[in-house]
Amino acid sequence: MEKQTRREFLAQTAAAGTLALAAQSPLARQAWAADNAPEMTIARWTGPKDLTADQISRAAVKLTEQAVAGLGGLERFIGKGSVVWLKPNIGWDRTPETAADTNPDVVATLIRLCFEAGAKTVKVGDNPCDIAQRTYAASGIAEAAKKAGAEVLFLDRTRFRETAIGGDRIKSIPIHPAILECDLVLNVPVVKHHRLATATLCMKNYMGVIEKRNLFHQAIPECLVDITRFMKPQICVLDAVRILTDHGPKGGDLKDVAMPLALAAGTDIVALDAWGAEVLGLKVADVPSIGLGEAAGLGRSDYRSLALKEIAVS
Amino acid sequence: MSKARRGWLRVWTRRTVQLAFLLLFLGLLLAARPPAEGSPSPWLKAFFLIDPLILLATWLAAHAVPLAALWALATLAVTILLGRVFCGWVCPLGTLHAIAGGIGRRRKPDAARDRWSPWQRTKYYLLAGFLAMAVFGGHWVAVFDPLVLLYRTTTTALVPGVQWAIEEGAKKVYDADVGVGEYRAHQATEPVYTWLRDHVFYVQGQAFLGTGLILGLFVVTLALNRYRPRFWCRYLCPLGALLGVFSWRPLLRRTGRKEACNECGLCAAPCHGAAAETFGGQWKPAECLGCLNCTPACPKESLGWTVQLPWRREPALSRVGISRRGAIAAAAGGLAALAFFRATPQARGKKYNPALIRPPGARPEREFLQRCTGCGLCMKVCRTGGLQPTLIEAGLEGIWTPRLVPLIGPCDHTCNLCGQVCPTEAIRPLSVEEKQQTKIGLAAFDTTRCIPYAYGRPCIICEEQCPIPDKAIYAIDTEVKGRDGQVTTIALPHVDPDKCIGCGVCENVCPLNDRPGIRVMSANESRDPDNQPILPGGGGDYAW
Repeated sequence: MEKQTRREFLAQTAAAGTLALAAQSPLARQAWAADNAPEMTIARWTGPKDLTADQISRAAVKLTEQAVAGLGGLERFIGKGSVVWLKPNIGWDRTPETAADTNPDVVATLIRLCFEAGAKTVKVGDNPCDIAQRTYAASGIAEAAKKAGAEVLFLDRTRFRETAIGGDRIKSIPIHPAILECDLVLNVPVVKHHRLATATLCMKNYMGVIEKRNLFHQAIPECLVDITRFMKPQICVLDAVRILTDHGPKGGDLKDVAMPLALAAGTDIVALDAWGAEVLGLKVADVPSIGLGEAAGLGRSDYRSLALKEIAVS
Repeated sequence: MSKARRGWLRVWTRRTVQLAFLLLFLGLLLAARPPAEGSPSPWLKAFFLIDPLILLATWLAAHAVPLAALWALATLAVTILLGRVFCGWVCPLGTLHAIAGGIGRRRKPDAARDRWSPWQRTKYYLLAGFLAMAVFGGHWVAVFDPLVLLYRTTTTALVPGVQWAIEEGAKKVYDADVGVGEYRAHQATEPVYTWLRDHVFYVQGQAFLGTGLILGLFVVTLALNRYRPRFWCRYLCPLGALLGVFSWRPLLRRTGRKEACNECGLCAAPCHGAAAETFGGQWKPAECLGCLNCTPACPKESLGWTVQLPWRREPALSRVGISRRGAIAAAAGGLAALAFFRATPQARGKKYNPALIRPPGARPEREFLQRCTGCGLCMKVCRTGGLQPTLIEAGLEGIWTPRLVPLIGPCDHTCNLCGQVCPTEAIRPLSVEEKQQTKIGLAAFDTTRCIPYAYGRPCIICEEQCPIPDKAIYAIDTEVKGRDGQVTTIALPHVDPDKCIGCGVCENVCPLNDRPGIRVMSANESRDPDNQPILPGGGGDYAW
């Protein structure tokens, strides 16, 4: 992690104090972030590409650490004693090498960083498509998260509460209250192909906090904008250690898995999704939710125009 | 210790053993839930493996039994030595009937209630008919095996009933969000609910189709205890009849001192099996459940037990008196019933019920029915709760056997539990890899229901969730004209019959929950070469 100088610290504190007085809204927080710190970091593995499973694990850990550090550390988002909900993609009963779920090493590393940043509790959970007990175990996330000290929770489908989200297309949808009660939702999806949505990235990962999601398919981009606007993302980490290039989002065939060994973290969800689309070899225009998200003011699709930090990791 | 006290000690020992077996039965039933990893314990099917009726009927019908089913020979050995102690000491359904028959039972002797009735021969004739049926391949007797009956009823009706009460109760408390000050009522209920959810139940909101008849049969047989205690065990139970046949001259026999007996009937009043033709005499070992209630009940201490070698005629044994004519008539009746079962279009011709989707590994239908008891163990252990008891889908012969109802739950792609637990291997145990290549049916789009076809809106959740790695469902971008004449492009889904294994995930996740836009039917099932109407492409290569 990069150390702050005293001058930087004082300047930031002053700026933050002023802004905090001006407005307490998350938008203001983002504005503050835009002025003072990187909005997005991309960590890329530049070491040898021919890695064993163990080496991939270690690379995933390093990529995560560096990307988060480049963003200014999780301290930016996590107050002392706060409760964090880590929302990986644990959608499918598949093993880590098939890239159908978020990389467990990325998840474990983020949990550690959350605790180091002062989090009191880190909870990990998703509303999977396959049977939860199976997906949690097969993805390797349950074990990795427990080892890292997080609470691994099943989102009980009968405990979702109908919640007004005031979207254009979706007025209200059942959301699990445990997620909304947390101080921060840390969105950690994996880059994957998706036939209908073209790609499943950060915005689409929010479909794991709701129920009745199969309605979304009838207007995926609009619905994703609605749920993203409601979730007010502060930070997302997009895992592209392994990605699924075809037959997503469940995949299952190793020939559909590519290994870019990259990872991005940022405050701008649209920018991250734009980068994710590129990783998949797509253009921003190919993924309708990105353009629609930008039009809705959720972020900027031209991620290179942000305060961007690119980090080579080896 | 006085003779009477020793007698009561024996009775209480018997009651304790009964309760222990009942609890063991229920414990094994509750333990039959998907394990976190690995194979389910072979102990889950233990009760079915010691059941000689299942062994005999399956062997007669299918001419083959799993090796482990030979444990039932041990039960027969015990029966030959001691009589029907299985009924009196072990059988959990028998224990329930003993409890139901004991409640409110008057201590005063009643000649009609307590003495042997010739109608108790009914169960032997039923058994004769059933076994004749089994010789010709009908396995129906196992459907009425007492262990099967209790397992099925508990799995499909009793446990889901309790689960409903717990789930709905906890949900009401959770939703009401009541409490005093900081304290919320659900802080007490939620941990209990969560523990039960994670350790006792598995499928949330688990429920089964057609449980009315299953529960009805159970309740009626329980209620009949008001007419005659242990009515089921005395008059109907086919397993009891089989064990009765094997206890015609047991080593353990009841003795009576005729000179001491005044025929007061106090020994008969608590008798479970109504085993004696007269008060104090004419004891029928085939009807005695070994409950041991009679000996301490005798105020004159005239009754006792003795060990006697089979060829000894003393103490005298009374016979049930099955007539050869009656047995032949019963066998003929059984064959007539089998003919009736089989004289259906489904059983005669190559016609298939589209709703009859058997679990992966299920044998061809005829062979399957020769083995399946309808115990419900596969339904209990099914990860999604999709395995449901049939009613008429497999004909009367196949009542309460398992079928997949994808709308309720699909066949989970990485699960092979049903075949692992099946006590008779009606569902063969498959490895997960084998299971993933076993077709249980074929999905078909109903273009009048499927949202993209019928209403011109994007959807293809079926394609998204299809678990086949290179997707048995694929979508083709198609130009369609809307109401206003505008042409838009929409992804229309299709099924690849070579890749589809009929797991039903697509049907389950379709947003239409009444009549999904894609449904699985039995065509293409691997187990039946006659039900494969689609010529495989790619040179018949099923591998993917």
